[in-house]
Amino acid sequence: MANPAADKHHDDHHGIAHVASLKVLLGTWILLMILTVATVGATKVDFGPSTNLAIAMFIAVIKATLVVLFFMHLFYDKLFHTVLIVAGVLALALFVGFTLMDSNQYQESIQWNYTVPADPPPAP
Amino acid sequence: MTAGHDHHAPHGPGSGHDDHGDHGTHPPGIQHHYDDAQHQFDSGKLGIWFFLAQEVLFFSALFVAYVLYRHHRPEIFAYAHHYLDVKWGAINTGVLIVSSLSAAWAVRCAQLAQRRGLILCLSITLVCACGFLAIKYIEYTHKIHEHILFGKKFDPCVSSGGQHLLTNGDHCPGTKRSACRAADVDLRPDQPGWQVACKVKETTPTGTRELPVCEMEAHHHGPAHAANPPCWEISQNPWVCKAGDFNGTPGVAALVHYGDHALRGSSTKIELECDAAKAPPTPDYAADLPVVGGLGQGTFQPKQKLSDHDLGVQRSMGPPPEHTNMFFSIYFCMTGLHGIHVLAGVIVCIWLLIRAVKGHFTPQYFGPVDYFALYWHLVDLIWIFLFPLLYLIH
Repeated sequence: MANPAADKHHDDHHGIAHVASLKVLLGTWILLMILTVATVGATKVDFGPSTNLAIAMFIAVIKATLVVLFFMHLFYDKLFHTVLIVAGVLALALFVGFTLMDSNQYQESIQWNYTVPADPPPAP
Repeated sequence: MTAGHDHHAPHGPGSGHDDHGDHGTHPPGIQHHYDDAQHQFDSGKLGIWFFLAQEVLFFSALFVAYVLYRHHRPEIFAYAHHYLDVKWGAINTGVLIVSSLSAAWAVRCAQLAQRRGLILCLSITLVCACGFLAIKYIEYTHKIHEHILFGKKFDPCVSSGGQHLLTNGDHCPGTKRSACRAADVDLRPDQPGWQVACKVKETTPTGTRELPVCEMEAHHHGPAHAANPPCWEISQNPWVCKAGDFNGTPGVAALVHYGDHALRGSSTKIELECDAAKAPPTPDYAADLPVVGGLGQGTFQPKQKLSDHDLGVQRSMGPPPEHTNMFFSIYFCMTGLHGIHVLAGVIVCIWLLIRAVKGHFTPQYFGPVDYFALYWHLVDLIWIFLFPLLYLIH
């Protein structure tokens, strides 16, 4: 992505890779810290269990995106690296999604073996 | 790969490694089989990104386990996360974010040939990584101590916070040795044939009550008598001293396990009172042993100091839902695997620090620092998700 730009020596940095500016690094860090405080604070307020989870996950995704884009230089890096990591995350989503779908299919037929004793098998 | 074309383009005057294959012209740190620094750096970077994508898949199995259990048994998660201390989780999140900043800064320093800055940044990363592990150690030891562990090792009856719920619902029978607290009392029998019964009295500002004794055992305080085992043989209250030679060897102490799960503060006093009587005659005993009364009395405080956190956990929460241990199985798997990654990061960081001090890294050769930083950011990233998923369940 920005590799050709870096090759042109648009600043006093050498051509091997993009050098993150201090402003970007510190700005990302401050945002991450604020979001950490925000996510802890959000749990103190009761929005309902699923909304609270959604808020926490939303903030976590923002934090993760910040880390990946700026700390991990992906914003300035080759597109192929983005493809790699997004593919990994997609595989994760497929893994979680399909397992969840599958387990929902037979959830009704599970007999948890503690509180409720299993029903006797129907007479033939 | 397009980079293969890109990296030939920028060779300007002064870049003396056009003729790849010639050993002598390679700058330090550049391997023979790479055309130049750019080629080596890009190859390594591609490799580390493949590794990171693999790491995502590696952790994905644990996230699947988490999502499935939380989806099907949300009450377990809602209950069990109270055992975790948000304070430690939040501090660790901050520690990791600081270390991520310093790791990213270290890359910048390496790129700009700032050797002192590089050493400083790597040191900060290392200190933060060790701090993270130290906090994890505090959390883990607390849980081990309180039997808040995975699988069958999860025993809320032992946890001091867990004791509160047990008084309300009698969910843990007091016969469990591990659920009992132990206290020493000195007994001074000098003949076999004694029957000892102990009572445990608890005094709180609201009143006095007797606690059940779940087990008693004996041990020597004095010199060990290998040939003469302790006479205390019956492990239930009362004991009967059936055999053994204790003439002239006072200092046999009893360890009384009193079983109860009451919430105890510092104002609670526990008294142990033991009485001796001659054992009922049996064919095994001589019938004419003297009786010595008032064997001993001990007053003591509970050894375990209750943490406010644990007290808060289960106050009016009722007993844990069944299979609560699954939460801790998942918790220890996820944080454990993450902790192993942090440990690996610490080792790599030490190696980098040594190399940085030796001055190995140049603007043309800083790949290892960059790859480590990328790995470290991923470790931070995983924690960014673990923290709300494990600690911040509403």
